[in-house]
Amino acid sequence: MNTVIIINLNGNAFHLEEPGFQSLRAYLERAHAQLQDNPDKSEIMADLEQAIADKCGHFLRPHKNVLTAAEIDGVLKEMGPVETDGAAPAGATAGATAGATGGEQPQAGKSTAGPAPKRLYQIRQGAMLSGVCTGIAAYFNIDVTIVRILFVVLTVLTGGLWVLVYIGMMLVVPFANTGEEHAAAAGAPFNAQEVIDQAKKHYAEFKDSKEWRRHWRQQRREWRRRWHEGAYWWGHNLQRNVHQFSTGAGYGYGGHLGAALLIPFLAVFNALLFCLWIAAIVSLATTGAIFGWSMGGSIPLWASILILMFIYSAIARPLRHARRAIYFNTSGNNYLWFAAWYEILSTGVLILVCWFAYTHVPQVHDFFQHFAQNWSTMWNNLIDSFRHTAAHKPADSWLGAKISGVAAAASASAFLALRR
Amino acid sequence: MTADTKFNPLRKGLLEFLILQIISADKVYVADMMKRLQETDFATQEGTLYPLLSKMRREEFVDYEWQESDSGPPRKYYKLTAKGKSQLAEFKDYWAYLNTTINKLGR
Repeated sequence: MNTVIIINLNGNAFHLEEPGFQSLRAYLERAHAQLQDNPDKSEIMADLEQAIADKCGHFLRPHKNVLTAAEIDGVLKEMGPVETDGAAPAGATAGATAGATGGEQPQAGKSTAGPAPKRLYQIRQGAMLSGVCTGIAAYFNIDVTIVRILFVVLTVLTGGLWVLVYIGMMLVVPFANTGEEHAAAAGAPFNAQEVIDQAKKHYAEFKDSKEWRRHWRQQRREWRRRWHEGAYWWGHNLQRNVHQFSTGAGYGYGGHLGAALLIPFLAVFNALLFCLWIAAIVSLATTGAIFGWSMGGSIPLWASILILMFIYSAIARPLRHARRAIYFNTSGNNYLWFAAWYEILSTGVLILVCWFAYTHVPQVHDFFQHFAQNWSTMWNNLIDSFRHTAAHKPADSWLGAKISGVAAAASASAFLALRR
Repeated sequence: MTADTKFNPLRKGLLEFLILQIISADKVYVADMMKRLQETDFATQEGTLYPLLSKMRREEFVDYEWQESDSGPPRKYYKLTAKGKSQLAEFKDYWAYLNTTINKLGR
Protein backbone atom coordinates (compact mmCIF):
# COMPACT_ATOMS: atom_id res chain seq x y z
CA MET A 1 0.00 0.00 0.00
CA ASN A 2 1.24 3.45 -0.81
CA THR A 3 0.06 7.00 -0.39
CA VAL A 4 -1.23 8.47 -3.62
CA ILE A 5 -0.74 12.07 -4.59
CA ILE A 6 -2.71 13.83 -7.28
CA ILE A 7 -0.72 16.21 -9.43
CA ASN A 8 -1.38 18.54 -12.30
CA LEU A 9 0.98 18.12 -15.24
CA ASN A 10 0.36 20.92 -17.69
CA GLY A 11 -3.35 20.67 -17.18
CA ASN A 12 -3.59 16.88 -16.81
CA ALA A 13 -4.39 15.29 -13.47
CA PHE A 14 -2.46 12.18 -12.48
CA HIS A 15 -2.46 9.92 -9.47
CA LEU A 16 1.08 9.08 -8.41
CA GLU A 17 2.46 6.91 -5.68
CA GLU A 18 4.23 9.06 -3.15
CA PRO A 19 7.84 7.95 -3.95
CA GLY A 20 7.10 8.48 -7.62
CA PHE A 21 5.86 11.96 -6.81
CA GLN A 22 9.11 12.68 -4.99
CA SER A 23 11.26 11.67 -7.94
CA LEU A 24 9.06 13.57 -10.37
CA ARG A 25 9.27 16.66 -8.24
CA ALA A 26 13.03 16.24 -7.99
CA TYR A 27 13.25 15.92 -11.76
CA LEU A 28 11.17 19.01 -12.44
CA GLU A 29 12.95 21.10 -9.85
CA ARG A 30 16.26 20.10 -11.30
CA ALA A 31 15.01 21.00 -14.76
CA HIS A 32 13.86 24.31 -13.34
CA ALA A 33 17.31 24.94 -11.92
CA GLN A 34 18.97 23.97 -15.18
CA LEU A 35 16.80 26.35 -17.17
CA GLN A 36 17.29 29.15 -14.69
CA ASP A 37 18.75 31.57 -17.24
CA ASN A 38 16.79 30.33 -20.19
CA PRO A 39 14.39 32.95 -21.57
CA ASP A 40 11.99 30.20 -22.66
CA LYS A 41 12.03 28.50 -19.30
CA SER A 42 8.31 28.40 -18.70
CA GLU A 43 7.61 27.19 -22.19
CA ILE A 44 10.18 24.40 -22.00
CA MET A 45 8.87 23.39 -18.61
CA ALA A 46 5.37 23.20 -20.03
CA ASP A 47 6.67 21.10 -22.94
CA LEU A 48 8.46 18.77 -20.56
CA GLU A 49 5.41 18.42 -18.38
CA GLN A 50 3.30 17.67 -21.40
CA ALA A 51 5.79 15.07 -22.62
CA ILE A 52 5.80 13.45 -19.17
CA ALA A 53 2.01 13.52 -19.16
CA ASP A 54 1.92 11.83 -22.56
CA LYS A 55 4.28 9.12 -21.40
CA CYS A 56 2.37 8.63 -18.17
CA GLY A 57 -0.83 8.30 -20.13
CA HIS A 58 0.47 5.12 -21.74
CA PHE A 59 0.47 3.37 -18.38
CA LEU A 60 -3.14 4.10 -17.58
CA ARG A 61 -5.98 1.68 -18.27
CA PRO A 62 -9.64 1.79 -17.32
CA HIS A 63 -8.86 -0.25 -14.22
CA LYS A 64 -5.45 1.15 -13.49
CA ASN A 65 -5.49 4.83 -12.69
CA VAL A 66 -2.47 5.14 -10.40
CA LEU A 67 1.11 5.41 -11.62
CA THR A 68 3.58 3.39 -9.62
CA ALA A 69 6.91 4.76 -8.51
CA ALA A 70 8.70 2.38 -10.88
CA GLU A 71 6.66 3.62 -13.81
CA ILE A 72 7.48 7.22 -12.98
CA ASP A 73 11.15 6.39 -12.71
CA GLY A 74 10.96 4.71 -16.11
CA VAL A 75 9.29 7.76 -17.62
CA LEU A 76 11.87 10.10 -16.14
CA LYS A 77 14.71 7.93 -17.44
CA GLU A 78 13.14 8.04 -20.86
CA MET A 79 12.86 11.81 -20.63
CA GLY A 80 16.53 12.10 -19.86
CA PRO A 81 18.14 14.84 -17.84
CA VAL A 82 17.31 18.37 -18.90
CA GLU A 83 20.39 19.89 -20.49
CA THR A 84 21.03 23.28 -21.89
CA ASP A 85 23.46 23.56 -24.75
CA GLY A 86 26.57 24.87 -23.07
CA ALA A 87 26.58 22.42 -20.25
CA ALA A 88 25.40 19.16 -21.70
CA PRO A 89 27.63 16.28 -20.76
CA ALA A 90 29.18 14.31 -23.59
CA GLY A 91 26.90 11.37 -22.92
CA ALA A 92 23.88 13.25 -24.21
CA THR A 93 23.26 10.74 -26.96
CA ALA A 94 24.51 7.76 -25.05
CA GLY A 95 20.97 6.50 -25.10
CA ALA A 96 21.68 4.89 -28.48
CA THR A 97 24.42 2.69 -27.11
CA ALA A 98 23.58 2.46 -23.45
CA GLY A 99 20.34 0.72 -24.22
CA ALA A 100 17.89 3.53 -24.91
CA THR A 101 17.68 4.58 -21.29
CA GLY A 102 20.68 6.67 -20.38
CA GLY A 103 22.18 5.94 -16.98
CA GLU A 104 23.54 9.44 -16.69
CA GLN A 105 20.65 10.95 -14.79
CA PRO A 106 22.32 10.98 -11.37
CA GLN A 107 25.05 13.32 -12.63
CA ALA A 108 22.63 15.77 -14.10
CA GLY A 109 22.38 19.09 -12.44
CA LYS A 110 25.88 18.97 -11.11
CA SER A 111 27.33 19.89 -14.47
CA THR A 112 26.20 23.48 -14.33
CA ALA A 113 25.60 23.87 -10.63
CA GLY A 114 29.34 23.84 -9.98
CA PRO A 115 30.60 24.21 -6.44
CA ALA A 116 27.78 25.54 -4.34
CA PRO A 117 28.31 28.93 -2.72
CA LYS A 118 29.30 28.73 0.91
CA ARG A 119 28.54 31.55 3.26
CA LEU A 120 28.69 32.08 6.98
CA TYR A 121 25.28 32.33 8.60
CA GLN A 122 23.85 32.17 12.07
CA ILE A 123 21.61 29.16 12.37
CA ARG A 124 18.90 29.39 14.99
CA GLN A 125 18.01 25.72 14.95
CA GLY A 126 19.85 24.03 17.77
CA ALA A 127 21.38 27.30 18.88
CA MET A 128 22.21 27.91 22.53
CA LEU A 129 22.45 31.68 22.42
CA SER A 130 22.24 33.19 18.99
CA GLY A 131 23.39 30.56 16.54
CA VAL A 132 26.94 31.77 15.86
CA CYS A 133 28.48 28.45 16.90
CA THR A 134 25.97 26.40 14.92
CA GLY A 135 26.68 28.56 11.88
CA ILE A 136 30.44 28.12 12.21
CA ALA A 137 29.99 24.40 12.72
CA ALA A 138 27.92 24.20 9.54
CA TYR A 139 30.46 26.28 7.63
CA PHE A 140 33.41 24.10 8.55
CA ASN A 141 31.30 20.96 8.68
CA ILE A 142 32.37 20.06 12.22
CA ASP A 143 30.45 19.19 15.33
CA VAL A 144 28.88 22.18 17.02
CA THR A 145 30.02 20.94 20.43
CA ILE A 146 33.63 21.26 19.35
CA VAL A 147 33.00 24.85 18.28
CA ARG A 148 31.32 25.62 21.61
CA ILE A 149 34.15 24.10 23.61
CA LEU A 150 36.59 26.08 21.50
CA PHE A 151 34.67 29.28 22.21
CA VAL A 152 34.62 28.62 25.94
CA VAL A 153 38.35 27.81 25.96
CA LEU A 154 39.11 30.95 23.97
CA THR A 155 36.98 32.99 26.35
CA VAL A 156 38.94 31.70 29.32
CA LEU A 157 42.30 32.17 27.60
CA THR A 158 41.53 35.73 26.55
CA GLY A 159 40.14 36.59 29.95
CA GLY A 160 36.64 37.10 28.61
CA LEU A 161 37.60 39.27 25.65
CA TRP A 162 36.47 36.56 23.27
CA VAL A 163 32.94 37.30 24.35
CA LEU A 164 33.27 40.58 22.46
CA VAL A 165 34.16 38.63 19.32
CA TYR A 166 31.09 36.50 19.85
CA ILE A 167 28.88 39.53 20.32
CA GLY A 168 30.40 41.11 17.22
CA MET A 169 29.62 38.04 15.15
CA MET A 170 26.17 37.92 16.67
CA LEU A 171 25.53 41.42 15.36
CA VAL A 172 27.26 41.12 11.99
CA VAL A 173 26.66 37.59 10.70
CA PRO A 174 23.27 37.27 9.02
CA PHE A 175 20.70 34.66 9.97
CA ALA A 176 19.95 31.80 7.65
CA ASN A 177 16.22 32.00 7.06
CA THR A 178 15.41 30.39 3.74
CA GLY A 179 16.19 26.89 2.57
CA GLU A 180 18.78 28.22 0.15
CA GLU A 181 20.54 30.09 2.91
CA HIS A 182 20.59 27.00 5.08
CA ALA A 183 22.05 25.07 2.18
CA ALA A 184 24.62 27.78 1.55
CA ALA A 185 25.57 27.80 5.22
CA ALA A 186 26.68 24.19 4.89
CA GLY A 187 27.92 24.67 1.33
CA ALA A 188 25.44 22.11 0.10
CA PRO A 189 24.22 22.37 -3.47
CA PHE A 190 20.63 23.50 -3.39
CA ASN A 191 18.55 21.44 -5.72
CA ALA A 192 15.52 19.33 -5.23
CA GLN A 193 17.16 15.95 -4.83
CA GLU A 194 19.61 17.30 -2.29
CA VAL A 195 16.79 18.85 -0.34
CA ILE A 196 14.90 15.58 -0.31
CA ASP A 197 17.99 13.62 0.66
CA GLN A 198 18.75 16.07 3.42
CA ALA A 199 15.19 16.00 4.63
CA LYS A 200 15.36 12.23 4.77
CA LYS A 201 18.65 12.36 6.62
CA HIS A 202 17.31 14.89 9.07
CA TYR A 203 14.21 12.82 9.57
CA ALA A 204 16.35 9.78 10.39
CA GLU A 205 18.39 11.86 12.83
CA PHE A 206 15.27 13.34 14.27
CA LYS A 207 13.78 9.90 14.70
CA ASP A 208 16.94 8.78 16.43
CA SER A 209 16.94 11.77 18.71
CA LYS A 210 13.26 11.25 19.39
CA GLU A 211 13.96 7.68 20.25
CA TRP A 212 16.75 8.77 22.50
CA ARG A 213 14.51 11.31 24.14
CA ARG A 214 11.82 8.72 24.57
CA HIS A 215 14.36 6.44 26.16
CA TRP A 216 15.45 9.21 28.49
CA ARG A 217 11.87 10.02 29.40
CA GLN A 218 11.20 6.40 30.20
CA GLN A 219 14.30 6.29 32.33
CA ARG A 220 13.23 9.38 34.19
CA ARG A 221 9.73 8.04 34.70
CA GLU A 222 11.20 4.85 36.08
CA TRP A 223 13.34 6.78 38.53
CA ARG A 224 10.42 8.88 39.63
CA ARG A 225 8.27 5.80 40.03
CA ARG A 226 10.91 4.17 42.18
CA TRP A 227 11.30 7.30 44.25
CA HIS A 228 7.57 7.59 44.70
CA GLU A 229 7.33 3.92 45.49
CA GLY A 230 10.08 4.18 48.09
CA ALA A 231 8.60 7.25 49.69
CA TYR A 232 5.15 5.82 49.39
CA TRP A 233 6.24 2.55 50.87
CA TRP A 234 7.70 4.34 53.85
CA GLY A 235 4.72 6.60 54.17
CA HIS A 236 2.34 3.76 53.56
CA ASN A 237 3.88 1.62 56.27
CA LEU A 238 3.59 4.49 58.65
CA GLN A 239 0.09 5.04 57.43
CA ARG A 240 -0.78 1.42 58.09
CA ASN A 241 0.73 1.49 61.54
CA VAL A 242 -1.07 4.68 62.33
CA HIS A 243 -4.20 3.22 60.91
CA GLN A 244 -3.86 0.14 63.07
CA PHE A 245 -3.12 2.28 66.08
CA SER A 246 -6.00 4.63 65.51
CA THR A 247 -8.45 1.84 64.78
CA GLY A 248 -7.00 -0.52 67.34
CA ALA A 249 -9.91 0.15 69.59
CA GLY A 250 -12.28 -0.26 66.73
CA TYR A 251 -13.98 2.47 64.81
CA GLY A 252 -15.85 4.85 66.98
CA TYR A 253 -14.90 6.76 70.04
CA GLY A 254 -11.63 4.93 70.72
CA GLY A 255 -10.46 5.42 67.21
CA HIS A 256 -11.22 9.10 67.30
CA LEU A 257 -9.45 9.43 70.57
CA GLY A 258 -6.35 7.72 69.18
CA ALA A 259 -6.34 9.99 66.18
CA ALA A 260 -6.95 13.03 68.32
CA LEU A 261 -3.94 12.11 70.42
CA LEU A 262 -1.74 11.38 67.43
CA ILE A 263 -2.52 14.62 65.66
CA PRO A 264 -0.95 16.93 68.23
CA PHE A 265 2.12 14.77 68.22
CA LEU A 266 2.38 15.03 64.45
CA ALA A 267 1.66 18.74 64.53
CA VAL A 268 4.39 19.40 67.07
CA PHE A 269 6.84 17.22 65.25
CA ASN A 270 6.10 18.82 61.90
CA ALA A 271 6.37 22.35 63.26
CA LEU A 272 9.67 21.56 64.97
CA LEU A 273 10.98 19.97 61.80
CA PHE A 274 10.01 23.02 59.78
CA CYS A 275 11.69 25.37 62.27
CA LEU A 276 14.79 23.25 62.28
CA TRP A 277 14.89 23.23 58.52
CA ILE A 278 14.51 27.00 58.19
CA ALA A 279 17.13 27.51 60.89
CA ALA A 280 19.50 25.16 59.08
CA ILE A 281 19.09 27.05 55.82
CA VAL A 282 19.57 30.42 57.48
CA SER A 283 22.61 29.18 59.33
CA LEU A 284 24.03 27.74 56.16
CA ALA A 285 23.41 30.88 54.15
CA THR A 286 24.88 33.26 56.73
CA THR A 287 27.82 31.30 58.11
CA GLY A 288 28.37 28.70 55.39
CA ALA A 289 27.81 25.85 57.87
CA ILE A 290 24.80 24.21 59.46
CA PHE A 291 24.95 25.05 63.17
CA GLY A 292 28.73 25.02 62.91
CA TRP A 293 28.85 21.79 60.92
CA SER A 294 30.25 22.27 57.44
CA MET A 295 28.93 20.16 54.63
CA GLY A 296 32.32 20.03 52.99
CA GLY A 297 34.06 22.88 51.27
CA SER A 298 33.50 21.91 47.68
CA ILE A 299 29.70 21.94 47.71
CA PRO A 300 28.44 25.37 46.68
CA LEU A 301 25.83 27.06 48.82
CA TRP A 302 22.96 26.67 46.40
CA ALA A 303 23.62 22.96 46.09
CA SER A 304 23.67 22.59 49.86
CA ILE A 305 20.33 24.37 50.10
CA LEU A 306 18.93 22.07 47.48
CA ILE A 307 20.17 19.08 49.46
CA LEU A 308 18.52 20.45 52.59
CA MET A 309 15.25 20.91 50.73
CA PHE A 310 15.51 17.37 49.52
CA ILE A 311 16.15 15.97 52.99
CA TYR A 312 13.30 18.00 54.44
CA SER A 313 10.76 16.79 51.93
CA ALA A 314 12.05 13.22 52.29
CA ILE A 315 11.18 13.39 56.01
CA ALA A 316 8.06 15.52 55.82
CA ARG A 317 6.47 13.56 53.01
CA PRO A 318 5.74 10.32 54.91
CA LEU A 319 4.49 12.37 57.84
CA ARG A 320 2.00 14.00 55.55
CA HIS A 321 0.91 10.57 54.37
CA ALA A 322 0.41 9.52 57.98
CA ARG A 323 -1.65 12.60 58.71
CA ARG A 324 -3.90 12.00 55.75
CA ALA A 325 -4.29 8.43 56.85
CA ILE A 326 -5.64 9.66 60.15
CA TYR A 327 -8.00 12.09 58.47
CA PHE A 328 -9.46 9.52 56.17
CA ASN A 329 -9.38 6.48 58.35
CA THR A 330 -11.05 7.87 61.39
CA SER A 331 -14.20 9.13 59.83
CA GLY A 332 -15.16 11.00 56.74
CA ASN A 333 -17.46 13.51 58.40
CA ASN A 334 -15.04 14.67 61.02
CA TYR A 335 -12.20 14.99 58.57
CA LEU A 336 -12.38 18.78 58.35
CA TRP A 337 -12.35 19.12 62.12
CA PHE A 338 -9.22 17.02 62.33
CA ALA A 339 -7.56 19.05 59.61
CA ALA A 340 -8.42 22.30 61.32
CA TRP A 341 -7.29 20.91 64.64
CA TYR A 342 -3.97 19.96 63.12
CA GLU A 343 -3.44 23.32 61.43
CA ILE A 344 -4.24 25.27 64.55
CA LEU A 345 -1.96 23.11 66.62
CA SER A 346 0.99 23.22 64.23
CA THR A 347 0.67 26.98 63.76
CA GLY A 348 0.50 27.39 67.49
CA VAL A 349 3.58 25.25 67.97
CA LEU A 350 5.36 27.19 65.24
CA ILE A 351 4.63 30.51 66.93
CA LEU A 352 5.63 29.06 70.27
CA VAL A 353 8.90 27.76 68.96
CA CYS A 354 9.66 31.06 67.25
CA TRP A 355 8.89 33.03 70.37
CA PHE A 356 10.98 30.68 72.49
CA ALA A 357 13.88 30.87 70.09
CA TYR A 358 13.66 34.63 69.86
CA THR A 359 13.69 35.11 73.62
CA HIS A 360 16.02 32.31 74.70
CA VAL A 361 18.44 31.72 71.82
CA PRO A 362 20.75 34.71 71.40
CA GLN A 363 21.72 33.90 67.80
CA VAL A 364 18.12 33.94 66.69
CA HIS A 365 17.55 37.16 68.59
CA ASP A 366 20.53 38.76 66.91
CA PHE A 367 19.43 37.55 63.53
CA PHE A 368 16.05 39.21 63.79
CA GLN A 369 17.52 42.38 65.30
CA HIS A 370 19.53 42.93 62.12
CA PHE A 371 17.16 41.18 59.79
CA ALA A 372 17.60 43.41 56.71
CA GLN A 373 21.37 43.22 56.88
CA ASN A 374 21.36 39.49 57.46
CA TRP A 375 18.95 38.96 54.64
CA SER A 376 21.16 40.81 52.17
CA THR A 377 24.20 38.84 53.41
CA MET A 378 22.36 35.60 52.78
CA TRP A 379 21.24 36.70 49.37
CA ASN A 380 24.72 37.85 48.37
CA ASN A 381 26.22 34.59 49.56
CA LEU A 382 23.75 32.70 47.44
CA ILE A 383 24.44 34.80 44.33
CA ASP A 384 28.18 34.45 44.91
CA SER A 385 27.87 30.70 45.07
CA PHE A 386 26.13 30.69 41.69
CA ARG A 387 28.75 32.97 40.22
CA HIS A 388 31.50 30.88 41.64
CA THR A 389 29.99 27.79 40.09
CA ALA A 390 29.65 29.55 36.78
CA ALA A 391 33.15 31.03 37.04
CA HIS A 392 34.30 29.52 33.77
CA LYS A 393 31.67 31.57 32.09
CA PRO A 394 32.03 35.33 31.68
CA ALA A 395 31.34 36.84 35.06
CA ASP A 396 29.29 39.74 33.76
CA SER A 397 26.85 40.79 36.39
CA TRP A 398 23.83 40.35 34.14
CA LEU A 399 24.90 36.89 33.23
CA GLY A 400 25.45 36.06 36.88
CA ALA A 401 22.01 37.37 37.68
CA LYS A 402 20.58 35.37 34.83
CA ILE A 403 22.28 32.17 35.94
CA SER A 404 21.22 32.65 39.53
CA GLY A 405 17.67 33.33 38.39
CA VAL A 406 17.62 30.16 36.37
CA ALA A 407 19.15 28.17 39.22
CA ALA A 408 16.65 29.60 41.71
CA ALA A 409 13.81 28.68 39.39
CA ALA A 410 15.27 25.20 38.97
CA SER A 411 15.63 24.64 42.69
CA ALA A 412 12.15 25.98 43.35
CA SER A 413 10.66 23.67 40.76
CA ALA A 414 12.63 20.74 42.16
CA PHE A 415 11.31 21.56 45.59
CA LEU A 416 7.75 21.79 44.35
CA ALA A 417 8.15 18.53 42.46
CA LEU A 418 9.28 16.83 45.63
CA ARG A 419 6.43 18.22 47.61
CA ARG A 420 3.88 16.81 45.21
CA MET B 1 33.56 1.99 -26.91
CA THR B 2 36.34 4.51 -26.48
CA ALA B 3 35.91 5.61 -30.08
CA ASP B 4 32.20 5.83 -29.50
CA THR B 5 32.48 8.14 -26.52
CA LYS B 6 34.97 10.21 -28.48
CA PHE B 7 32.37 10.72 -31.14
CA ASN B 8 29.83 11.95 -28.59
CA PRO B 9 30.69 15.65 -28.95
CA LEU B 10 30.62 15.24 -32.70
CA ARG B 11 27.16 13.72 -32.62
CA LYS B 12 25.99 16.34 -30.21
CA GLY B 13 27.18 19.11 -32.49
CA LEU B 14 25.49 17.54 -35.45
CA LEU B 15 22.17 17.00 -33.72
CA GLU B 16 20.96 20.51 -34.47
CA PHE B 17 21.53 20.07 -38.20
CA LEU B 18 19.90 16.66 -38.21
CA ILE B 19 16.83 18.20 -36.68
CA LEU B 20 16.84 20.84 -39.38
CA GLN B 21 17.05 18.03 -41.92
CA ILE B 22 14.16 16.13 -40.37
CA ILE B 23 11.97 19.20 -40.22
CA SER B 24 12.83 20.22 -43.78
CA ALA B 25 10.81 17.34 -45.23
CA ASP B 26 7.56 18.04 -43.44
CA LYS B 27 6.11 19.60 -40.31
CA VAL B 28 6.85 17.30 -37.40
CA TYR B 29 6.20 17.21 -33.69
CA VAL B 30 8.72 16.17 -31.07
CA ALA B 31 7.59 12.56 -30.65
CA ASP B 32 8.02 12.07 -34.42
CA MET B 33 11.51 13.53 -34.32
CA MET B 34 12.43 11.26 -31.48
CA LYS B 35 11.10 8.26 -33.34
CA ARG B 36 13.14 9.08 -36.40
CA LEU B 37 16.27 9.68 -34.41
CA GLN B 38 15.74 6.58 -32.32
CA GLU B 39 16.79 4.33 -35.16
CA THR B 40 20.02 6.25 -35.72
CA ASP B 41 23.11 6.89 -33.68
CA PHE B 42 21.58 10.20 -32.75
CA ALA B 43 18.90 8.86 -30.44
CA THR B 44 18.05 11.57 -27.95
CA GLN B 45 15.67 12.34 -25.14
CA GLU B 46 13.08 15.00 -24.46
CA GLY B 47 15.26 16.48 -21.75
CA THR B 48 17.80 17.38 -24.42
CA LEU B 49 15.48 18.01 -27.33
CA TYR B 50 13.11 20.58 -25.84
CA PRO B 51 15.80 23.01 -24.69
CA LEU B 52 17.58 22.61 -28.05
CA LEU B 53 14.39 23.30 -30.01
CA SER B 54 13.64 26.34 -27.94
CA LYS B 55 17.14 27.62 -28.60
CA MET B 56 16.74 27.04 -32.34
CA ARG B 57 13.45 28.84 -32.28
CA ARG B 58 15.05 31.79 -30.51
CA GLU B 59 17.68 31.84 -33.24
CA GLU B 60 14.81 31.79 -35.76
CA PHE B 61 15.83 28.62 -37.60
CA VAL B 62 12.58 26.87 -36.75
CA ASP B 63 9.09 27.84 -35.79
CA TYR B 64 6.10 25.90 -34.64
CA GLU B 65 2.36 25.98 -34.85
CA TRP B 66 -0.26 24.31 -32.73
CA GLN B 67 -2.30 21.57 -34.31
CA GLU B 68 -5.15 19.62 -32.87
CA SER B 69 -4.50 15.91 -32.59
CA ASP B 70 -6.99 13.09 -32.72
CA SER B 71 -5.66 11.48 -29.58
CA GLY B 72 -4.90 14.00 -26.92
CA PRO B 73 -4.01 17.64 -26.51
CA PRO B 74 -2.89 19.92 -29.34
CA ARG B 75 0.71 19.42 -30.44
CA LYS B 76 3.47 21.74 -31.48
CA TYR B 77 4.37 21.06 -35.10
CA TYR B 78 7.77 22.43 -36.04
CA LYS B 79 8.66 23.78 -39.45
CA LEU B 80 11.68 25.46 -40.98
CA THR B 81 11.90 29.18 -41.43
CA ALA B 82 13.63 30.76 -44.42
CA LYS B 83 16.65 31.32 -42.23
CA GLY B 84 16.56 27.68 -41.21
CA LYS B 85 16.42 26.55 -44.80
CA SER B 86 19.48 28.56 -45.78
CA GLN B 87 21.24 27.32 -42.65
CA LEU B 88 20.52 23.74 -43.65
CA ALA B 89 21.78 24.33 -47.18
CA GLU B 90 24.90 25.90 -45.78
CA PHE B 91 25.43 22.94 -43.52
CA LYS B 92 25.00 20.44 -46.31
CA ASP B 93 27.53 22.28 -48.46
CA TYR B 94 29.96 22.41 -45.59
CA TRP B 95 29.44 18.73 -44.83
CA ALA B 96 30.17 17.83 -48.46
CA TYR B 97 33.24 20.01 -48.34
CA LEU B 98 34.40 18.27 -45.16
CA ASN B 99 33.87 14.91 -46.81
CA THR B 100 35.95 15.78 -49.80
CA THR B 101 38.63 17.26 -47.57
CA ILE B 102 38.83 14.10 -45.49
CA ASN B 103 38.92 11.93 -48.54
CA LYS B 104 41.57 14.09 -50.22
CA LEU B 105 43.80 13.98 -47.15
CA GLY B 106 43.57 10.22 -47.12
CA ARG B 107 45.11 9.88 -50.55
